[in-house]
Amino acid sequence: MKDGMHMRMLPERLRQTRMFTKLFVFAVFMIVTVSITITWTTIKMSERFFIEKFSIVNSRVIAQMKEHFEGYSNEIAVASQNLLLSRTIREGLTEKQNNLQKMSSYFNMSQQLKRVRSNLDNYDMSIFVMGKNGIGHTTERIYWPISDEELITSPITQKTYAEPKKLMYQLDTRKDDDGKMNHYIVASLALMDRISGDIYGTMYFALNEKEFRKSYVPYTTKGSNVFIVDKKGEVLSSNMPSLIGKRDARVLNYVKKIENSKDGYIVENFMGKEQIILMQYLPSYDMYLFNILDKKAAVEDVIDKRAIVLICLGIFLAALIIVFLGTKEMTNSLTKLVRQISSAPKHGFHQPIEVNGTYETKQLGEAFNSMFDELHRYVDELVDAQKQRRTAELAALQQQINPHFLYNTLTSIKFMVRQGNVEESEITLNSFISLLQNTIGNVSETISVREEMENLKHYVLINQKRYGERIKVNYLISPDCQEYKIPKLILQPFIENSFFHAFNQKPGGYVHVMVWKENEDLICEVLDDGDGMEDSSAGRLPQTKRKHQLFSGIGVKNVHERIQLIYGEEYGVTVSSEAGEGTRIRISMPAA
Amino acid sequence: MKKMLSLLLVSILLLSACSGSKSKDASTSSGKDTKEITVWAWDPNFNIKALNLAKDAYKSENPDLNVKVVENAQADIVQKLNTSLSSGTTKGLPNAVLIEDYRAQSFLQAYPDMFYEMTDKIKADDFAAYKIPPTSLDGKNYGVPFDTGVTGLYIRTDYLEKAGLKVSDVQDMDWNKYIEVGKKIKKATGKVMLTQDPKDLGLIRMMIQSSGSWYLKEDGKTPDLAGNEALKEAFKTYKAILDADLVKPASDWSQFVGGFNSGDVATVPTGNWITPSVKAEASQSGKWAVVSMPRQSDNPKSVNASNLGGSSWYVLNIPGKEKAADFLAKTFGSNVDFYQTLNKEIGAIGTYKPAAEGGAYKASDDFFGGQKVVSDFASWTEKIPQVNYGLHTYAIEDILAVEMQNYLKGKNLDKALEDAQAQAEAQIK
Repeated sequence: MKDGMHMRMLPERLRQTRMFTKLFVFAVFMIVTVSITITWTTIKMSERFFIEKFSIVNSRVIAQMKEHFEGYSNEIAVASQNLLLSRTIREGLTEKQNNLQKMSSYFNMSQQLKRVRSNLDNYDMSIFVMGKNGIGHTTERIYWPISDEELITSPITQKTYAEPKKLMYQLDTRKDDDGKMNHYIVASLALMDRISGDIYGTMYFALNEKEFRKSYVPYTTKGSNVFIVDKKGEVLSSNMPSLIGKRDARVLNYVKKIENSKDGYIVENFMGKEQIILMQYLPSYDMYLFNILDKKAAVEDVIDKRAIVLICLGIFLAALIIVFLGTKEMTNSLTKLVRQISSAPKHGFHQPIEVNGTYETKQLGEAFNSMFDELHRYVDELVDAQKQRRTAELAALQQQINPHFLYNTLTSIKFMVRQGNVEESEITLNSFISLLQNTIGNVSETISVREEMENLKHYVLINQKRYGERIKVNYLISPDCQEYKIPKLILQPFIENSFFHAFNQKPGGYVHVMVWKENEDLICEVLDDGDGMEDSSAGRLPQTKRKHQLFSGIGVKNVHERIQLIYGEEYGVTVSSEAGEGTRIRISMPAA
Repeated sequence: MKKMLSLLLVSILLLSACSGSKSKDASTSSGKDTKEITVWAWDPNFNIKALNLAKDAYKSENPDLNVKVVENAQADIVQKLNTSLSSGTTKGLPNAVLIEDYRAQSFLQAYPDMFYEMTDKIKADDFAAYKIPPTSLDGKNYGVPFDTGVTGLYIRTDYLEKAGLKVSDVQDMDWNKYIEVGKKIKKATGKVMLTQDPKDLGLIRMMIQSSGSWYLKEDGKTPDLAGNEALKEAFKTYKAILDADLVKPASDWSQFVGGFNSGDVATVPTGNWITPSVKAEASQSGKWAVVSMPRQSDNPKSVNASNLGGSSWYVLNIPGKEKAADFLAKTFGSNVDFYQTLNKEIGAIGTYKPAAEGGAYKASDDFFGGQKVVSDFASWTEKIPQVNYGLHTYAIEDILAVEMQNYLKGKNLDKALEDAQAQAEAQIK
């Protein structure tokens, strides 16, 4: 039973806070939307910010790298001019010499190479010259371990002869003794008599790619990589050794894209990652210098997405709490109002509604209260009117002493007088006078229990004089109840009932009238041991057949209505009866 | 408004960026210098291989140490050492380095603080006596002596036979005889006697040391060129060999090696360290012999033994020196077995005397027709005249090389040497 109540109460509560729920859900939805949008925008904006910052910084860095490379190529160009213009070299590679002359020219050539080499002291570099006559000279071979035979047939040599006026940079890859692949950056230029156009050999400036790389590796970091590609897309040098020698056509696309982009960088998916790609053209190499930044490493590691999300989440939660409390505060007064209004009938519309909360709810509450007051007044008026009418009705009834009763009683007294029973006649007449005296008057007037008993005794006496004494009446009044006030003539109808109906079969018996106080209530009982009623449904008052013997117009039913009218619903008359056993009438009213 | 917002965002981001990057690089700084040592050397067929063998041998001593072997041209090693040591920066320097005995004193005397003393780590008496002066300074040992530069004359026995000569005919000869033999061989086979790189006066050095002479006087500082009879004769011999057209010019080491690997030349007068290069051409197995170095004809003091090159290991006085010293001491400094391996694998002959007792040193070599080459070299080693290489071997050689060219073109020899003397005195003071 209690659980059922609870179950019913929950949806009830929800129903009552429906507005709050709706408002709150809406607000949460808005906050979530705004939070997510802001978070996302923040991340995107800061990404863009960092990408731009990075691209600016890295543009400078690769411009610096470019300078390095150009510096290197300048040094090579100067050195190559030295060798190109060297008579020693030209003679050594063109003239036919005996061994003795060769010794001298070898010495001179090596001195020449040594001088050129000393200008390139900063690099671990091997310089070669290789004549078409098969005479080769080198400063040392360890930085480019290639034999003279390999050098003569090398594609590097072929390409150099094909474009004799161009100082070109090429990649040479060879295995060392341990089987490791080594890459070499070889700058080569044909040795050509510029006037006659005769080509008499080639010069080579070779260094290990690892050495070449040194000029830019300090600028690279994890996620920031550099490579140099030629016009065919072949990687010549990179801080990522696995790329060297590889060809990737996409790279050439990037060249176009970057040249067309206004920012000077592009973001592309490269090597399986999103990369910020920057580029510089190296004119003296006719190659492209690429700097690729792993976007994730560069940007996302800097932007702590977790922190942003946490901050936004924090803001979100704070907003949620504020919204929760704010909405609650706003809707609370309304909800309370609604609750009070809906429970108003329970309190019989007597409890005024608390006026608080926002202006609107206050106004609403006040309006409701004044409507209530109005209603109350109207109802009260209605009840009063009703009461007055009823009272008037009762008074009319009460003051209407049944003429039959008067006629019968007076007839009885006449017989007594005729029989010469003066004394009895006098007693009966006295009682009759007292009865009339007490009865006629305001019906709403209350009298004490003692006075009521007096009336009752007069009435009983008159009836006993008329019908004999086969029905005896006992009065058992609790002494402390004597002075309590009760409405006039509330017991009389029941005594009358007992006299005229309870002893139709039985020859005689007793009627007991008992008055006592029970808690705060005054209980009056009229008990008879007469015929009782066959079909006595408990608490129902018997339909009294109107007989001419009635003392006044107030019937048994009227008593009940009257008591309820005066004292309220919880008071009244109950009847219990059993056939052959008797009837018990119980009247309850407040003791006052 | 947008500005404000981005400012706020950026400041938040910067804050988070600052806090995020701290934890990453904590574990890098310590431990690097102790786990790895770097050693520089030149010549991949000889010194580098020897180092790698030493590295293997040292594994059993200290498996945790990583020895990083770096190959560089000798000239670059010298230049880099000079640059770093003279500037006082130790950054980029190796822990140990191979230095040719000719140059050792110039480093030890110029930068005595920069080398780690090895006196307590090795027993100097265990090494060939002539290796100690170049590797020591003020009685303290700095170098761990490595190979001997003892020279021999590698000669093609098949060419000899074609010229009607036997190996015994070329044993203990002088340079005049060498030229005669050369002419015969050239006549019989059309082959010249030797390759020569005109920049490298190694032949001159071998000649003069066989007579106990050097570019410098015994103080190691005063040039001894003008009036140096041994030098003068060496120049003459050099020209005579060229005049006889017995020389195939070579411009560098690879052409020099190519000369005898291709069979173009009949002899190689040089240090024993050339053995692996000679043996690299397996098809010539059994066609070579090694005889004693020719001596100078006009100099009675001259012996049939000389030295060319030879180098020793030095530890630089930088962090990691103890590890590097331990590495060298326990391999090149004391390990007899290691020297046997060294000899077997690459034909290297050390100057560590106890190693000579080992089996490898007494073995015969089929490549050289069963000749006990190592033991022969060992016996010549004992005869090498002691000279003080002093400080300026190569500086003087550069000057001499130019004067040699002048001499070959017809300049008076005495004048040439006097000019060289004058230049040397001007330059090395």
